[in-house]
Amino acid sequence: MCELFAMSAGQHYTAQDYLPLFADKARANMSGWGIGFFREGQVHIEKSCEGVYEGDMVHDSFQRLARVIGSRIIISHIRCPKAGHQQESLAQPLTDHFLDHHWLFSFKGESESGHGYDSPRPLMRERLLAARVFEFVRDGLEALQGASPEHGLYQGLAAACQQLISRYPGEYAFFLANETVLFAFLNHGEILTYHPPEARGESLVLTTVSGGLTRYPEHWCAYPHEDVRHGQILIISGADLLYLGRI
Amino acid sequence: MCDLFALSAAQHYTAATSLPLFAVRGRQNVHGWGIGFFRHRVPVVEKSGDQVFAFGRLHVSFQRLARVVNSPIILAHIRYKTSGEVDECHAHPFVLTFWGQSWIFAHNGKAPAIEPYVSSHTPVLEAASDSARTFEFLRDYFADAEPRRPHTQFDVILREALVHLLQRYPGKYNFLLTNGQVIWAFTNHRQFLMLKGSEKLEDVLLLTTIEDGLSSENWQKLAAREGRGGRLLLIAGGDLILSADLLP
Repeated sequence: MCELFAMSAGQHYTAQDYLPLFADKARANMSGWGIGFFREGQVHIEKSCEGVYEGDMVHDSFQRLARVIGSRIIISHIRCPKAGHQQESLAQPLTDHFLDHHWLFSFKGESESGHGYDSPRPLMRERLLAARVFEFVRDGLEALQGASPEHGLYQGLAAACQQLISRYPGEYAFFLANETVLFAFLNHGEILTYHPPEARGESLVLTTVSGGLTRYPEHWCAYPHEDVRHGQILIISGADLLYLGRI
Repeated sequence: MCDLFALSAAQHYTAATSLPLFAVRGRQNVHGWGIGFFRHRVPVVEKSGDQVFAFGRLHVSFQRLARVVNSPIILAHIRYKTSGEVDECHAHPFVLTFWGQSWIFAHNGKAPAIEPYVSSHTPVLEAASDSARTFEFLRDYFADAEPRRPHTQFDVILREALVHLLQRYPGKYNFLLTNGQVIWAFTNHRQFLMLKGSEKLEDVLLLTTIEDGLSSENWQKLAAREGRGGRLLLIAGGDLILSADLLP
């Protein structure tokens, strides 16, 4: 299955130490990769349909981007062959503009019925589960924020995720971020978090890679979830995990 | 009673329109004022024991700061003392460091029960007021919880601290707390008014305790619900992220 990576910091940071580790740990997923970040409120995404590993080396562009990209929030995705498509344009992260923000979205999961969602504002026509999930969550958030502006984004996201897993049962995990806040949702597998010691508490790394990205899995905090009928949402801003809500 | 103001945006912003309105509408608060924000993650606070509005005019420095302060998050406080002296040291906001970062805190309310509180950590705030002791209480709780930091979300510690605060030192609390990235707001006695996407003021998220808000637009009222201990808000990047009762 695909793997997800995110880094959140209080100020611009590079993920040069952790993106290559992410590529290494997820090297079995040889079907494309992407890195998304924010610069002055705008989204930038670099992606490729090539394997993140070439021979024994991390993809040259991936390595260079890892060193160069600086942002408060960086999201990366490594695509598995099971995703069923090879196009660069279908690699993740995905992006859209809604609720006055540019958003990055990165997804892993499976759902037999999830492809069935028909959004009034589709991101793309191709059969891509990540796009359908992003559209569903976006449409739900917009509808709920419009109806109840006194509710927080979390309440809207929680309601949308609840509807998602009840209407389209499946296994879902995703990162959704604007330039300030990162939401992580999962109803299966686990998300692991890690405060890099060299950053002295200034950044937080998240991944779905089992055991984390460093040599010591015990240094990672795991947020597992196995009951696909429910889920949990983490709210992260800066280097802090602010909130964990269960659906 | 004092009044609070906050601006939250995804980018740097000035509160050149809304801050003066806040001061004018809250001019019955005659015991000082303060503005707090972050510059490169370092807290900056400008405050005064002077009246924010006197002889029909806004305090000149307040006006100038309102035009100049440029930050994604700006807090302001205008004071009507219920505790402590009238001087710059007792004006809000206050600054303390915990959970690995600096925090700016502004409070309105009345909590005489906490005035005798003696902090177990340093530094202590010079001000002798319920607000200063409240901030120290929160700082102390987070400092004692530091070993739990890697695996405990901020919200859990804050809720625990507030529940203990209200149990040990019952009172009326209403505060803003920011690290420059997010704002936590809490109230157990007054409502906050929130406006997003104003056409008359700044097109950001604005929050205040001023009754009816700062313009004739559709300000959302966010208040504590009966029996729920208070209302906790999380704001970031110009959005209300979370609005929740203190108690389940």
